[in-house]
Amino acid sequence: MRAEEHADVLVLGAGIAGLSCASALTRAGRRVLVLEKARGVGGRAATRRLDGQPVDHGVAFIHTEDPELLAHLEAAAAAHGPDELIDWPLRVEGAGQPCLPRAFAGRERRLALRGGLTVLAKHLSAGLPLRLGQRAEGLRPGQIDCDNGLFHAPDLVITAPLPQALELLRGLPAQPELHSALELLRAATVHPCITVIATYPADRPAPAWDVCYPEGGPLALIAHDSRKRAAPRCHALVLQASPRWSREHLEGDPARWSADLLAAAAPYLPHELGAPQGLQAHRWRYARLDGASQLAEPLLIDLGGGQRLGLAGEAFAWSGGVEAAFHSGRRLAQRLLVGPHKRDL
Amino acid sequence: MMTASIKPKPMTAPKTLDDLVERDREHDCEGVGSQRICVRVAAVADLPSRFGDFKIVAFWNNRDGKEHTAIVHGDVIGAEDVPVRMHSECLTGDVMGSLRCDCRDQLELALRRIGELERGVVFYLRQEGRGIGLVNKIRAYALQDRGLDTVEANHALGFRDDERDYAIAAHMIRSLGLRSVRLMTNNPDKVAQLERYGVPITGRIPHLLPPNQHNRFYLETKANRSGHYIDFSGKPHLDEQSDRVLVEGMTVGED
Repeated sequence: MRAEEHADVLVLGAGIAGLSCASALTRAGRRVLVLEKARGVGGRAATRRLDGQPVDHGVAFIHTEDPELLAHLEAAAAAHGPDELIDWPLRVEGAGQPCLPRAFAGRERRLALRGGLTVLAKHLSAGLPLRLGQRAEGLRPGQIDCDNGLFHAPDLVITAPLPQALELLRGLPAQPELHSALELLRAATVHPCITVIATYPADRPAPAWDVCYPEGGPLALIAHDSRKRAAPRCHALVLQASPRWSREHLEGDPARWSADLLAAAAPYLPHELGAPQGLQAHRWRYARLDGASQLAEPLLIDLGGGQRLGLAGEAFAWSGGVEAAFHSGRRLAQRLLVGPHKRDL
Repeated sequence: MMTASIKPKPMTAPKTLDDLVERDREHDCEGVGSQRICVRVAAVADLPSRFGDFKIVAFWNNRDGKEHTAIVHGDVIGAEDVPVRMHSECLTGDVMGSLRCDCRDQLELALRRIGELERGVVFYLRQEGRGIGLVNKIRAYALQDRGLDTVEANHALGFRDDERDYAIAAHMIRSLGLRSVRLMTNNPDKVAQLERYGVPITGRIPHLLPPNQHNRFYLETKANRSGHYIDFSGKPHLDEQSDRVLVEGMTVGED
């Protein structure tokens, strides 16, 4: 039998935006339920384990200058182990453009966690009622219908990638605020990212850089992931394909992805590195928000009847990346807590 | 919030704007506001204009690559009750003469009035459309074109006052050595915001636009439901300067 539950706020998505929003609401005494289709938290701030070694196969590193996010990173790190939070990447190679040029601005700190970026999501989700493995299938004011449960709350917060959010919001009753919000979201572009993880024996020579931004070609970024780890058992590289290449090959054969992307990476790798001992591929269908799609603030729409709909995520704050996701979640929580939005003037 | 250390280091008291460049060469204070914004006077030159004799002051700030400026008339260093206008960059209005906003009228009025007074400053803040950026501003226009001008969409696009604007402005006022200002604005909240950052404000000067063929609709129509006036071409006017547009002779209805 499917579960049926009630709360004050349903937060759809246990990525950084959803967890940031949910943790702020919980701290303010709201009964929150976080619904997540995956089996773990973190969304694109994702970590896998290969032979016990963490590999960040989504976001490569966090960049921020925000004291609040830094405090959370430090707290997450402190709970995990000593020297857990590291400045990373320190050595950057290649003439290509970083995904977010601001990441390398003077006042930004670039950071990684030795245990993997999910350490942050786990810290933010501590004590939150999570309902994992719940894929949203339908949405009505005050209700989210998942494959494994039915959930009710006056306030709904959606942090799914924009195309998925749009799909869910389609069935809501028409009204002007919602209509213009949907128009904004429709104009946004979210790029896919085909990602390949390649591992190599630790006794081989490895690149001397942490992150490489190849210029042109199919690759957007190569992260030398094992350089984040205290005592890596293997060299791990994470190859992220460019938006264009990812789009063209999204429905293609994952075996071909590895071959093509490794060939593109070869000029940046020591040739003695040889063939990888392990290969894994991941298809991020909604990975990178196009820079021109960035909004400034989360959306909070009054659906009438005491029911509201909030939207947060990377797209809903200036800075981009994990910081934007974190901020938008916080901002939305603030606005949910103070009541209906008032005009600034 | 404004810390004492923002005050320039005691050296020979600066007498001219050029002295400020020298004074600020190594200026690096704790900054204003939670974002610890610090600015330096980076360059100064004469700027004779059709509105009077001005000097232009270029600022550097530690937060973003935006090069804010001050258009200064008369001797303002150490002066009290200096008339000050804050203007947010508006490419479409200021430069292109767009009729979708009143920015150019507001800017020209400020420059003209200050040019006629003994002294005054127009701070020209390079945050297009109140910080929303040109792309988002044009998106807001596109929504308007389709009749989708809503409070929430404009909010998401960034039409709001940013703490950063006031913190930067507060530091720039201090950097120019203004002892107190009279703010040219129709928005009392602006006065309160700047005071919060330690700017002594001794008065508010209403910024009333003279009526002309382009803003006559303010006198003839009422604001729509979302508080915007609809112009002759059917476009709603947003308050792009975070300053309510007031035209002489306008009756202000309830909002």
